[in-house]
Amino acid sequence: MRQVLEGSHAVSEAVRLARAQVISAYPITPQTHIVEQLSEYCANGTLDARFLRVESEHSALAALIGAASSGVRTFTATSSQGLALMHELLHWASGARLPIVMAEVNRAMAPGWNIWADQTDSLAQRDTGWIQLYCENGQEVLDTTIQAFRLAEWVNLPVMVNLDAFFLSHTYEPVDVPDQKSVDRFLPPYKPRFQLDLANPCAFNQLAPPNIYMEMRHNIQMAMDEALTFLEQMEEEFESILGRRHGAVEAIQCDDAEIILITSGTVTSTSRQVVAELREKGEKVGLLKIKLFRPFPVNMLRERTASASKVAVIDRNFSFGASGIFAQEVKAALCNFPGHPPVYSYIAGLGGRDITMEVIENIYWLTKKSTAPENESSWVGLREVDHAVGQS
Amino acid sequence: MATQQPLTNPSPLLIPCSYLTTEGNKTGSWRFLRPKYEEKTSPCSAACPAGEDIGRVEMLTAQGSFKEAWETILLENPFPGVCGRVCYHPCEQQCNRREFDEPVAIHILERFLADTASRYELKPSLQKLESKRQKIAVVGSGPSGLAAGYFLTLLGYQADVFEALPEPGGVLRWGIPLYRLPLSILNQEIAQIRELGVQIHCGKSISQELLRGGKSEYDAIFLGCGHSRSLPLKIPGEDLDGVKNGLQFLTKIRRGEVADLEGTAAVIGGGNTAVDTARSAARLGAKVILIYRRRRQDMPAFAEEVEMALEEGVELWELQAPVKIAAQDGDFVVTLRHMQVVEKNRQKRARIKPDSNKKKEIRVQHLFKAIGGEASEPWYDPPKKKRGMLRLSDCVLLHKSREPTLVYGGDLVADIKSVAHAVASGKQAAIALDILFNEGLDAVRPKLQTCLVGDGPSISLETYMSGPRSLRNHRVVRYHDLNTDYFQFAPMITQPRLLREERFQSFAEINLKIGASLAIREAERCFNCGLCNQCDNCQLFCPEIAVTRDNNPRGRHINYDYCKGCGLCVVECPRNAMILEEELLCDRS
Amino acid sequence: MQLDNLNPEHMCSGHVGCPGCGAAIAMRFVLKALGDKTMMVIPACCWSIIAGSYPQSALKIPVLHTAFETGGAAASGVRAAQDIKGDTETTVVTWAGDGGTFDIGFQALSGAVERNENFIYFCYDNEAYMNTGVQRSSSTPYGAWTTTTPGQHWKKLRKKNIVEVLVAHRIPYAATASIAFPEDLMAKVEKAKSMTGSRFIHIFSSCPTGWGMPSEMSIKIARMAVQTTIFPLYEVEDGLRYTINYTPKGYLVNEYFRLQGRFKHLTEEDLDSIQEMVDEDWNLLLRKAGISLETS
Repeated sequence: MRQVLEGSHAVSEAVRLARAQVISAYPITPQTHIVEQLSEYCANGTLDARFLRVESEHSALAALIGAASSGVRTFTATSSQGLALMHELLHWASGARLPIVMAEVNRAMAPGWNIWADQTDSLAQRDTGWIQLYCENGQEVLDTTIQAFRLAEWVNLPVMVNLDAFFLSHTYEPVDVPDQKSVDRFLPPYKPRFQLDLANPCAFNQLAPPNIYMEMRHNIQMAMDEALTFLEQMEEEFESILGRRHGAVEAIQCDDAEIILITSGTVTSTSRQVVAELREKGEKVGLLKIKLFRPFPVNMLRERTASASKVAVIDRNFSFGASGIFAQEVKAALCNFPGHPPVYSYIAGLGGRDITMEVIENIYWLTKKSTAPENESSWVGLREVDHAVGQS
Repeated sequence: MATQQPLTNPSPLLIPCSYLTTEGNKTGSWRFLRPKYEEKTSPCSAACPAGEDIGRVEMLTAQGSFKEAWETILLENPFPGVCGRVCYHPCEQQCNRREFDEPVAIHILERFLADTASRYELKPSLQKLESKRQKIAVVGSGPSGLAAGYFLTLLGYQADVFEALPEPGGVLRWGIPLYRLPLSILNQEIAQIRELGVQIHCGKSISQELLRGGKSEYDAIFLGCGHSRSLPLKIPGEDLDGVKNGLQFLTKIRRGEVADLEGTAAVIGGGNTAVDTARSAARLGAKVILIYRRRRQDMPAFAEEVEMALEEGVELWELQAPVKIAAQDGDFVVTLRHMQVVEKNRQKRARIKPDSNKKKEIRVQHLFKAIGGEASEPWYDPPKKKRGMLRLSDCVLLHKSREPTLVYGGDLVADIKSVAHAVASGKQAAIALDILFNEGLDAVRPKLQTCLVGDGPSISLETYMSGPRSLRNHRVVRYHDLNTDYFQFAPMITQPRLLREERFQSFAEINLKIGASLAIREAERCFNCGLCNQCDNCQLFCPEIAVTRDNNPRGRHINYDYCKGCGLCVVECPRNAMILEEELLCDRS
Repeated sequence: MQLDNLNPEHMCSGHVGCPGCGAAIAMRFVLKALGDKTMMVIPACCWSIIAGSYPQSALKIPVLHTAFETGGAAASGVRAAQDIKGDTETTVVTWAGDGGTFDIGFQALSGAVERNENFIYFCYDNEAYMNTGVQRSSSTPYGAWTTTTPGQHWKKLRKKNIVEVLVAHRIPYAATASIAFPEDLMAKVEKAKSMTGSRFIHIFSSCPTGWGMPSEMSIKIARMAVQTTIFPLYEVEDGLRYTINYTPKGYLVNEYFRLQGRFKHLTEEDLDSIQEMVDEDWNLLLRKAGISLETS
């Protein structure tokens, strides 16, 4: 049924349809609408789940580690500082192989306090062993959140579904909300592969000495590899039931493109428009949307960019002392393939600054004019600042 | 991208999840100290001349196993009923509980057990060793003679006891007043000795010939004839007509040959016979004065008896030495010299000397001498020194190649003349003879040494016969060895007694019975020093779960696969029934 | 005691606790009283090690080892999962050290008990970070040496009164217990088990390694802590009703202090002032229990 939904509520609806059993969260703007709605669902019986109103994000994830270890379907949502506070337990959740699903509303890290869109919060958690997915619109958010449970439970890894603050979390769009029956077909009840069990009492997460720790870590990487394959298989199934698929990456007019723009999240939508307009002007431009960040779809990226002479990565995030984080990943993915196109890194829209069509078009022209990337990253749209004013 | 086969099952998981217990870790290899169960000797046992296993007796009593407790005494002493009444209980002096609050009333409990056995007519199940060919004659049926017969019988020998008087018991029957030891108790315990197989022949005096005869049917003769003749005062007038002998007086009372006494009676002496005489005279109506050369604390009589005598109105004149007795109108005038203490010695009796010739006289209607006794025949005493003679703590052994071996025991050789010492003497004689017959004279002393209770001199028949308690260490547990955290303060039970007024109405027993619940409560006060009473602390507190219950007599064992040797079990054992040894010194297996 | 002692063991030999480990004894008693229908959350603490390394476990119940500060929260999640599965039989417990309770796990604990989560939180208190090599915690008592309060810089601050903090949350049950008083300890565990909501049991667990004392003294010391009123045995129901479960013999504190290396630097004056502090705390407790000082 098509409904006009806020991005946050697309998450809530998906969690309801996924029949999550234990939800635990701590409020942070702009995540609040997600958990408020779920709280309501738990309270009025729409969703048969326990909602734990914990005293911190750290405890939110800790509680889910407890719940997921007990073999139930679990969900949390957070953002920015909250995610950073969870950092230790992000490792714990993946190391313990718990299929926890989290909605992460991408918000800038403080200071100064900034509640607006920025992906640095989640990208800074890239090495924690979570599968990371970045969504473009409300429909994708809803579909991806449902899929996240299926994916997480298959590979026994936690999944983070990312959506941009406000641009997506607080934006109303028409969203097709599937019926429960269809979702149940796609996502059967959780059958844990291990759990705290009186009949089979085991201790979990105990001391793992050097003679086994490495194998355990390798086992996680094997699961990451499997996630790539399974994602495709799962999307096929999803499509057969619900008629939609999104893909780990999406290539728009890349086949003959000389310059390919690479984006993630809501910038993609704006970029689609820019690419369409540039194509009308005869520019050989393509757009590659990366949805799946972990595991990073290296082969797909290589295939989709094989024909291009340049790729330009637009990052609404930054790794200080290096470059845009997607750009780093793209470079790393391509560098071992001979004849790969040069990678341009553009930093834009940090802390919720608008990435307008003009900004994107500007990035295209800058890339086209350049013979080779001059810097690790180019910051687009920086204002002139009187540095003397800032000092006192 | 290569087309992949659809995934039908997720790939295998390797997660930090247990599938084994830690029992594969033999943490016992960490250990450098090893705890062990090792029972030790309780100080009361070591102090008991008869070597009774008191800690165990009280443990069994506390558990309500009265018969087993009684039998435990019988293993070391055939006279619990007698000793529970007349013993001076040196055990209580050494009781570790004395340092905590008050000693355990061991004496009262011993009597309780004997009374209980008597009340329910219990028959002890005592194991006799297989019969041996040797026969032993026992001369005298006093406590030492009967004990010798009893222990010899337990060891498998035939013992014939010869008693000159018409009834057995010696001093127990004729010397101890009825208010201390009722006849029925004595008769019961003697009957029990007879039932065991000891032959008692009364009215049979033994001549010196028995000792000599090369063709004697006996392989050994135990002499336990006692000191029945009073020692002389060695003062003028002591042989005047009417001056009586304390011991004979007591015997006459028992025979019913004494009428009431009128007027004042003086008793000269400070031993138990003197006190018994004084108290008996008081019961017969006399006003009694007890005259003693030294001070009250120097009296050889048991302090408790002295106290009761004073309670009953006996007057004690200390530091008065009789120097002359004269007859005057049917009365006696005793001249007394004042004495003074020359040297105070805490352990021994004070030395005294006359106090500047100060004298006084006392006129009395009755006069009793009771300053101690001696053997009535000189040949009862052991010779001074002779080949083949072995002086042991409680008897003297004289081994001759072609004649029966002689053993002098009981009061004939005792420093302290008590029933418990007499029992010790009989026991030592029996065991010594057994060793002699089996292994020869040279083995006697070393072998006896192995059955000492604590540091001795008392010995244990159970240890000699390798009973379960023979494993206990000779080390005596002292107060600081105990973990008294587990004990609650509780006052000692007091002996219920006849009121003072009631005592004068007859020779009825003064000390009264106590009930089972009171006895159990008192027995529970016992620390059971050095003895495992199955409290289970070792098991309870073991951080390694390395103490396991099982069916061995101890009820548990230590699993050295896991014991890290922390020593908690040893410290938390309230009674010091465990030890911690260095691991290197013992076998790791 | 005998009765409880006959309960089956749910812990096994071969664990890797130090010889004489009080925490191992505490675990043994608690599991005996809890029984096998128990799920346990263990945040980082000595027991993370004692329980053994992969693939072993010294505990015969389901155990979830978790991060240091998550004792309250992880147990909340385990409980929530059992609830949603309809399991009402299982007792969910947290087993944490003093660091995980007094310090780093304090927030999660406070959060969990404020929500009155239906679980029992056990703090086995060995009064410092022992697992990491004896660093001070807010549970380290006044006067103690640790590796981070060395030499003359011994801890000159009081031990946090954690039970009173829990009591302030008005939870149904908060109690102290000691490894030296197994009967009392097991009775409290059984009592807590029979209740619902947040229950807290603070167990004094001596540490021979960290306290500088022979391993065989573990119980003796723990008993002494009770007898000196340094660690009184009491319980508080609904944050209101105080019951002192054992009347201490009232030994002087130096009886306790002189047995431990961690206090050996203390002077007579120090001990006097510690005695005052202990008396003050004890009198305060007596008042709360409604026992007037004159009759105590």
